Amino acid sequence: MKILIIEDEKELSESIVTYLKSEDYVCEVAATFNKAMEKTELYDYDCILLDITLPGGSGLEILRELKANKKMDGVLIISARNSLDDKVKGLILGADDYLPKPFHLSELSARIGAIIRRKNFDGNNILKFNSISIDTSAKSVLVNNKPLELTRKEYELLLYFVSNKQKVISKNAIAEHLWGDGMEGNNDFIYTHIKNLRKKIIDAGNVDYIKSVYGMGYKFTD
Amino acid sequence: MKLLSKYNRVNIIATIIVLFVSAICYYFLIQSVLITQLDKDLKVEELEIKDFIKENNRLPDPTNYKDEQEEFIPSGNQKADRRYTSVDIFNKEHHEDVSYRQLQFPVLIAANQYKILIRKSQEETDDLIQLIVIITLGILVILLVTLFLINRFLLNKLWKPFNSTLQQIKQFNLSGKEKVQLEQSDINEFTELNDAVRIMTGRVSRDYDEIKSFTENASHEIQTPLAIIKSKLELLSQSENLKEEQMNSIQSVYEATNRLSKLNQSLILLTKIDNQQFRESEEVNISSLINKHLTNYEELITAKFITIKKNIEDNVKMNMNEVLAEILISNLITNAIKHNIDKGIIEITLSNNHLLISNTGLPLKIDPSELFERFKKDKVSSESLGLGLSIVKKICERYSYGIKYNYSDTLHTITINF
Repeated sequence: MKILIIEDEKELSESIVTYLKSEDYVCEVAATFNKAMEKTELYDYDCILLDITLPGGSGLEILRELKANKKMDGVLIISARNSLDDKVKGLILGADDYLPKPFHLSELSARIGAIIRRKNFDGNNILKFNSISIDTSAKSVLVNNKPLELTRKEYELLLYFVSNKQKVISKNAIAEHLWGDGMEGNNDFIYTHIKNLRKKIIDAGNVDYIKSVYGMGYKFTD
Repeated sequence: MKLLSKYNRVNIIATIIVLFVSAICYYFLIQSVLITQLDKDLKVEELEIKDFIKENNRLPDPTNYKDEQEEFIPSGNQKADRRYTSVDIFNKEHHEDVSYRQLQFPVLIAANQYKILIRKSQEETDDLIQLIVIITLGILVILLVTLFLINRFLLNKLWKPFNSTLQQIKQFNLSGKEKVQLEQSDINEFTELNDAVRIMTGRVSRDYDEIKSFTENASHEIQTPLAIIKSKLELLSQSENLKEEQMNSIQSVYEATNRLSKLNQSLILLTKIDNQQFRESEEVNISSLINKHLTNYEELITAKFITIKKNIEDNVKMNMNEVLAEILISNLITNAIKHNIDKGIIEITLSNNHLLISNTGLPLKIDPSELFERFKKDKVSSESLGLGLSIVKKICERYSYGIKYNYSDTLHTITINF
């Protein structure tokens, strides 16, 4: 999976690259408008992370160009401007998603995964982790080929874990992913959910994948 | 009072006074001119009589017409004065007083003194004065009518560019994209006004855009370093072999960064609402919005064993910005969940006129009147920013909704009147 990160903030793009590389993505970085135009014209990517404010031009211009050339790359706008105009404009121009800065890297990774699955024309919407298999189009989960009954939030939680496997995910990131902005600071809530999900997976005859990392959050690992 | 009517009033009063005073002056002037003329005529008569006496050495026969009368009165030894007077004499034929100008002078005939009175009727003079008064009054009436018509039609027309400019200023919308369209006028004052309005609106729009872009740039400038801190911390937390102490530190910094970023976003949101940047509005179905959020937080509600009592009318629609409506409802509901107690209650009532959200909870430690102020929160150390309700209030102000807080019987109630 090839990802192009169009972002002028070197430190941020480095972090993104480090995080995504361990998820087996191949990452390239373009830090300026011209560099980005050059790369998008020459190559195809599975997903492009697009910052709006770039030295040399607007990210929206790159998006317009991509769509004019009928490129099929998935586009995820990552903007610090958090401006409604940009969001609306970007989505109208054909961006697949919008993530305001600052974001959790785990959230970014989950969003990229979702875009790539949606863009995937082989119809392969199955996400696998050991004996767990998630069908993202049917929103169903099989454990050892037996269906696992999950509530909507539990399903989202599991998908989030599998998209960020082997990573420590903070409680904050999980809370925000499941309930949006309003519930920050109420991390106790997610404890019940993790407990339930963990129990269901263990009951389905598996080992315990969800490890709690003291003081920080949780890690989905074998 | 309209400028036009004030101007009209002053104008008409001044016109009446001026015409009245000038009519009076006119009257006296004409009268004195005419009397001088009469006096000259009388003097001619006097000369004629004196000539006759010199030639014939006797008095002539006195004339006695209505408009000219002569009277000769012997005055013995006394010599009469020579003087002009105005007198009224009763006319028996016409049964009325007739005013005359009279000249009295002495003559000496054969050593006898006579007082001679010659009178000429002033009737013609009076007629003339009457005519003049009528003409003056006529002019006054014509002038007033003309002034009225001019004011009514011409001034209205003259002020039209001003009124249209005023209309444009009233309709001027900062967040609107279109510029003011001002009517051309060949009157200097209005052209000047229009130029000033154009310059002013242009400057205001520019300033507004500047503030807008400043807000966005500020957000950008602050969010970018935060994004870097956050991502580095997340990477750091992936490292193996971290000590418990280190993990705790990372988590604390991470959480503080999150709060800082949320704080920044909320402040920018408040500024943006203040700047009226959420101008697009549409019909938002509040009923389904509330139900949507309740479903979203379902698990949180169950986790706290909270009972929801809903009394929501279907399809309550409000004309507002979708994002703001979303924030309003979401803030109110998360607030009701966050500050609730275990096994508590949330009551939601929605009708076309009002929205009422109550939740059980501990009594407030702060003054309820400060509840909607920025950074006011019940617990100093709590994770919440204390901005949620100020944002709710700001959104209500933006749409002129009334908002009230009330605490009674362990129920905190927020009422919004649409």
